[in-house]
Amino acid sequence: DALLGCHRSYRSRPTHGIGKFKYLLPKEVPKKRKEKVQMKEISAGTEYQYGDVNIQMTSYDLCLVERFAQYVHRLCNRLSIQVNESYAMPTKTSEVLFLEERGSKMQLDAVLTSHQRIVQIRGLSSTFAPILLEVIQSNQPEGLHLLVKQHTEADFKSRLKSRPELEELLAQMS
Amino acid sequence: SAAARRPWRLFGAMCLLRLPRITQPLEKEEEEVAALMQQVEGELEKSHYSDHEIRKLEEEEQLKRRRESLYDEDEARGKTVIMAQDLEEKWEQKFLQFKAAPRITDADKSNDRTSLNRKLDSNLMLLVKQKIGNQELWLLPQVEWQPGETLRSTAERAMATFLGDHIQAKVLGNAPYGIYKYKFPRAIRTENNVGAKVFFFKAFLQSSDLSQAELKADYLWVTKKELGDYLKSEYLKKVNRFLLD
Repeated sequence: DALLGCHRSYRSRPTHGIGKFKYLLPKEVPKKRKEKVQMKEISAGTEYQYGDVNIQMTSYDLCLVERFAQYVHRLCNRLSIQVNESYAMPTKTSEVLFLEERGSKMQLDAVLTSHQRIVQIRGLSSTFAPILLEVIQSNQPEGLHLLVKQHTEADFKSRLKSRPELEELLAQMS
Repeated sequence: SAAARRPWRLFGAMCLLRLPRITQPLEKEEEEVAALMQQVEGELEKSHYSDHEIRKLEEEEQLKRRRESLYDEDEARGKTVIMAQDLEEKWEQKFLQFKAAPRITDADKSNDRTSLNRKLDSNLMLLVKQKIGNQELWLLPQVEWQPGETLRSTAERAMATFLGDHIQAKVLGNAPYGIYKYKFPRAIRTENNVGAKVFFFKAFLQSSDLSQAELKADYLWVTKKELGDYLKSEYLKKVNRFLLD
């Protein structure tokens, strides 16, 4: 019987609670908080540094965009530039309609999906920025659209979805 | 103060680049790797089928079923008239009608170095013939620095003097890319004029339309490899340091 074993440790025994480990782990309090956006520092002079810079890559070809975003991320890792985040924007589908008129009107449809990946960088020094830009520019593949700009609050907000019911309630309250 | 005046004269030079328009052809190893990767992703990793491919497979199965057993026509009525196979054939025909622009343009064949249409897969740089001292040399366009202006604006002025004002070129940063300094020959050297330092800046041509008249007639657009034909060796060494291929 004793061989079947249940793992009950007697409370009076010194081995009580021998397998406990959760008290050793650091305490994690899951909070739902909005992330801080404005982290810009611009110091003039020789040490001119950009704040958050977004490199946006758009294309119709998904694999191409993903591979290029991976390449840019790895390049920044190797050049020891801090990468904050690398995320994707939602894909946009567009329908292309051809209206050919050769006697009988024909309509050919094509459905195109455009994908966008963003790599966010911090701490780019102004002496190094043009070199990095040139490297990325000369390595961009065909069919890819590059855009490098500074991160603004509008960019951050575009990732979040608006909640119309919440806004209605807030409007009703105030 | 006058006593602390430096003996070097400063010049700002602009290296105007036209970015490549097409990608360079792959090397043999690159092509082999690309083929291998496609094979790996397609067969071994079992990449998912796209919508079009799923539709095609379903319709093939339907056709098979119809031929083997005389299938009832009820199912066929609900489906669309156009089959995926027909769509594919239509697309193939359209593709065959499309004619791509040639990669090797006329300027390539005639080796006309003054045109921008040549060598669409590599960077092209502007070289101008300038008179320095009593020699006519091929150089990147340069202009002397005036006190009170930044070196970047000197370089932009150099570009403007040779190509006119409405150039759509983009300078990426304020920092120079390279420096070349040389001393004047002893005959011309004075106390205040020991030599000259040339600072190089880089700019990228945004539009390939140069309809403005060039002020100096002797200009060339050359690639990095052809630079050696025109520039002097010391100058070439310093310029090559900041050129990406």
